[in-house]
Amino acid sequence: MSAFKRKRGGKSNDKKAKKVKFVAGGEETREQAEQEKKNEVTIPPPVSMGRWTNKERVLIFSSRGINFRTRHLMQDLRTMMPHSKADTKMDRKDKLFVVNEVCEIKNCNKCLFFEAKKKQDLYMWISNSPHGPSAKFLVQNIHTLAELKMTGNCLKGSRPLLSFDPKFDKEPHYALLKELFTQTFATPHYHPKSQPFVDHVYTFSIADDRIWFRNYQIIEEDASLVEIGPRFVLNLIKVFRGSFGGSTLFENPKFKSPNMHRREIRLAAAARVREKQMVKELQKMKRTEAKEDVTTDVTADVFLTPAEDKPVHIQTEAPEPKVVKKNKHKAFKRQRMARR
Amino acid sequence: MESEDEDSLLGESEEEYSELSDSELQEAFAKGLLKPGMNVLVDEPKKSVNNVLFLCQCCLAELRKDLPWVERLDLTNPPAEDVLSKAEGKAPNPTNGDVNAENDFQREMFFYRQAQATVLEALPLLNKHGIFTKRPDDYFAEMAKSDQQMQKIRKKLISKQMIMEKSEKAKKLREQRKFGKKVQVEVIQKRQKEKKAMMTAVKKYQKGMTDKLDFLEGDQKAGKDSAQGPKKVANKKGPNAKRKYKDQKFGFGGKKSGKKWNTKESFNDVSGFRAKVAHAKGGGKGGNKGKGGKQNKRPGKSVRKKMKSRS
Repeated sequence: MSAFKRKRGGKSNDKKAKKVKFVAGGEETREQAEQEKKNEVTIPPPVSMGRWTNKERVLIFSSRGINFRTRHLMQDLRTMMPHSKADTKMDRKDKLFVVNEVCEIKNCNKCLFFEAKKKQDLYMWISNSPHGPSAKFLVQNIHTLAELKMTGNCLKGSRPLLSFDPKFDKEPHYALLKELFTQTFATPHYHPKSQPFVDHVYTFSIADDRIWFRNYQIIEEDASLVEIGPRFVLNLIKVFRGSFGGSTLFENPKFKSPNMHRREIRLAAAARVREKQMVKELQKMKRTEAKEDVTTDVTADVFLTPAEDKPVHIQTEAPEPKVVKKNKHKAFKRQRMARR
Repeated sequence: MESEDEDSLLGESEEEYSELSDSELQEAFAKGLLKPGMNVLVDEPKKSVNNVLFLCQCCLAELRKDLPWVERLDLTNPPAEDVLSKAEGKAPNPTNGDVNAENDFQREMFFYRQAQATVLEALPLLNKHGIFTKRPDDYFAEMAKSDQQMQKIRKKLISKQMIMEKSEKAKKLREQRKFGKKVQVEVIQKRQKEKKAMMTAVKKYQKGMTDKLDFLEGDQKAGKDSAQGPKKVANKKGPNAKRKYKDQKFGFGGKKSGKKWNTKESFNDVSGFRAKVAHAKGGGKGGNKGKGGKQNKRPGKSVRKKMKSRS
């Protein structure tokens, strides 16, 4: 019976077995071991099979042409979400609605699809698979679990707390997104791969018209937190009525496609260069221009005073030399006194 | 029909302005469609989605699953109180709703505080629903980050700390060295000053400007009284007499002839008489009677007898 009920992930079972030995001190009965192998955890009440009702499954996969950072982000998300399933890379030749079929095959009702364009830009689709709404985002500022600055750690597959900014309730499209995020990221209660402790919290905040995602570990009961990662920023492009298609429910007016952004930068640089060149040319032209000779001085008669002209006296003889008064060759004072 | 034409033409003039020929423009002007002044091509604003609110709400209603809170574990809350800035006495952020995304620290603190508020609110709720938040120490399970990764992180943190400590130590050493150098320089300068002062005082004395020999005892008296007391008198005659004698003998030329005659004047001259030396009264050598009086002194007979009997 224990073999039948054993989970696929045999590792954790071994760990549990080790733990049992450690705790009980060697003398455990086989029955006890069997019972504990059935359950996920030993200290809280056991996870019974019948209680898992919320059958939420998320399909996380990507298109071809993603880079290492995206791949790691996907792996991290799969680690953090035990209710996720993986799939092979989708060919870009296929249309997007093929994704719906893939979801159906895998029996998933939510989907996170990463699409990379030009090996530079990453787009993320989040959708409710058969009929529901979907949204497309541009993903920026990706930091993965493996970064050494993220020092926190959490149980693999533990259920997260979700924290939303109050701004999510103010706009209708944000409210829709909030619901979508909640259903996608929240691990179902009593999921067989989940851990019973709640030890980390996801934060979704809105700043600068973008959605910022953070993941923190709860260390103490007094809410001291450490970041685990991953972290990324989502820039909403559109919200669609159907899954990976359908009519547009909402279009973000402030969204600027990365191509436009790059183009603008290039144009700005080009415009600056052109301006400089024009200025230089103008200066050259000014310099080589034929300049007028100014013969009449416009300001010549500013200081003219109405008075009689004096007769001009031309000196033909040189003036007499001045008499030098200072006689340097004086006799000594004594002799002068004596002379007197 | 006219209105239709006008409408179509109007539409044309707005969108295909560049493609209209001159004749067409003239016609349009004649009809009064073109207004005077510059006609600038204006982009039509992007079609804003109508009924956003209605549609979104419809969608939301369809999407909702009506799960109990235990399944979702979501909370919406503004960030918690900013304890630090309150402690520093800064006014609370007026733009509470709009965090500045450019200011990295402020932004991250905003997110942190939001998470904190959620945790503070959620923990009692979780306890109520019987979900555990505290992991017991002996509960070992697979973690999101492997042990290897945590080791790397720990190593990096330690190395950072070491680097900081090293740099602090180096700074302190540098400061010390600077300080030490300063002190050394000061000491040297002080010594040079003292030497100079001494030399000038000596020269002054040589030239006869002062007849006080107090500069000799300057080092000893530096910490104590600056006013020099009766010791002045004792030292007055020392070098003064010697100097006088040498002056007499060698000053202004060479030897004076007839210096060693025993004349009446030389016989009557008692300036070379030292009463203390002559009578051997308490010279400088045995002068420490007040302090360790028994340094070299042999105790008296009775005392010696007592000591002998005791030992």
